[in-house]
Amino acid sequence: MSDNTAHRPPHLPGETGVWVFILGDMLMFAAFFIVFMAYRSEDVALYVNSQRTLNQHFGALNTFLMLTSSWCVAVAVEAGRADHRQRAQAWLVAAMGCALCFVVVKFCEYSEKIAAGFTLTTNDFFMYYFMLTGLHLMHVLLGLGVLCYLWFSLRAAPSADSMRTLESGASFWHMVDILWIVLFALLYLLR
Amino acid sequence: MPSILKLRVTWLWLLLIGATIVSWEFGHGLGFGDDYRLSTSAVLIIAFIKARMVILDFMEIRHAPRALRFILEAWTVVVAATLLIIYWQSA
Amino acid sequence: MNTRNELLCIWSAVLFVVVFTIGLWPLAHFLPAHAPTASAEDIAALYQARPWQMRLGLFVMMGCSGLVCAFVAAITVAMKRMENGLGVLTLTQLSAGTCGAVFLIVPCLVWTAAAFRPERSPELTLLLNDLGWIMLFMPFTTFVVQNIAIGLAVLGDRNAVPEMPRWVGFLNLWVAVLFIPGGFLTFFKTGPFAWNGVFVYWIPLVVFLGWYLVMFVLLRQGALKAARAA
Repeated sequence: MSDNTAHRPPHLPGETGVWVFILGDMLMFAAFFIVFMAYRSEDVALYVNSQRTLNQHFGALNTFLMLTSSWCVAVAVEAGRADHRQRAQAWLVAAMGCALCFVVVKFCEYSEKIAAGFTLTTNDFFMYYFMLTGLHLMHVLLGLGVLCYLWFSLRAAPSADSMRTLESGASFWHMVDILWIVLFALLYLLR
Repeated sequence: MPSILKLRVTWLWLLLIGATIVSWEFGHGLGFGDDYRLSTSAVLIIAFIKARMVILDFMEIRHAPRALRFILEAWTVVVAATLLIIYWQSA
Repeated sequence: MNTRNELLCIWSAVLFVVVFTIGLWPLAHFLPAHAPTASAEDIAALYQARPWQMRLGLFVMMGCSGLVCAFVAAITVAMKRMENGLGVLTLTQLSAGTCGAVFLIVPCLVWTAAAFRPERSPELTLLLNDLGWIMLFMPFTTFVVQNIAIGLAVLGDRNAVPEMPRWVGFLNLWVAVLFIPGGFLTFFKTGPFAWNGVFVYWIPLVVFLGWYLVMFVLLRQGALKAARAA
């Protein structure tokens, strides 16, 4: 399973259409990020103070889980390419495991916030916090479904189509990872 | 599973974890003296460097048609720049 | 299969988009949306300012909304070709799309009631105004389901020559996602998630009209292709 990706001709990962969805989603979230930043700049103190109440450890743990799940998916794709289907499925399961942990951590984090009295309508920061991480969470759940689908699709004999499907789903998952990377910085780490 | 270590993506994952830790430090006090603005800028820049790493090597855009690579690189640069500009205008 | 009728229904899209925009914007002045934080007196004043213009704008918006049904039918006919018969996704789209048309018409009727007697108590006018906006943007569910049905049908099209290119399936799935934030207007009276906010008003409006035009182009291509093949 050595890495020989250095000199491949240009290759579009997945099918063309899935990039319409991925780029569209990235565009939508870019709008969310920028709107968040714009509103933040009008009341920095509120945002900084509210951010202090966030559980940084949950945030960091989730970042670790997202990055790891993305890595697992990337390894799964490599395995699929080398026709090690069962190994690819195993790595997909690992990715799904990370994703499930992410969801659990998110629920713990939300419960903790709500128990402390911070909800969607507490203030502008928490509106963005719940809305943006909530929309991201929806994508994680959708992604879990996609990963499941990929696991099942690996049962059949490989074909040009199946590799494309694997790459399409993987690309979507990596997008979900990228969105969290930015969200973690915006919501937890800005000063 | 030593063959895992031969994979580019594995080294990338370790690098991403490292970048996250560095970013965390910048978000929690590691700074350039009292100027937290530089630390926050570092946090944002590192976030988009991480995003770019995921784009180029996890998503395999490094080997994708140039048009797609251009769009994704542009996304990274434009969004990062816009966020930084807005941040500096208010900080 | 009557291609002329099919094209007629497809072209109704252009009429709908143009007339609806005229009604919404220069006539009724519902672009941009009224602020959810506006007082009852402010809203009453809006309805009292030029009631005949408001009524005309709403009449026009409501009047052209029936054309949505024709467009939904055109999409249904195209999906029938994708599914090789009246498949379940085709029927889902038909029913969800029809419900969607209702939620374009009914808000206009509610606002018409407000404009009908603008001299009534401002609180009542405010109530009708609220109701109209909520009815227009909150029922994202039928639009989401409609778009998901189209997306799945396009992606599941196993014919030798697919009815539509696969990216259209992904586009419809993305459009479905973009309609969802519309439902969050219930929690906010200000900000980007209020009914006059960017994620509830502007993006769904632009996306809806844009999707309409993209589907128009593709449906027309599909109908002409089917006519040639027949």
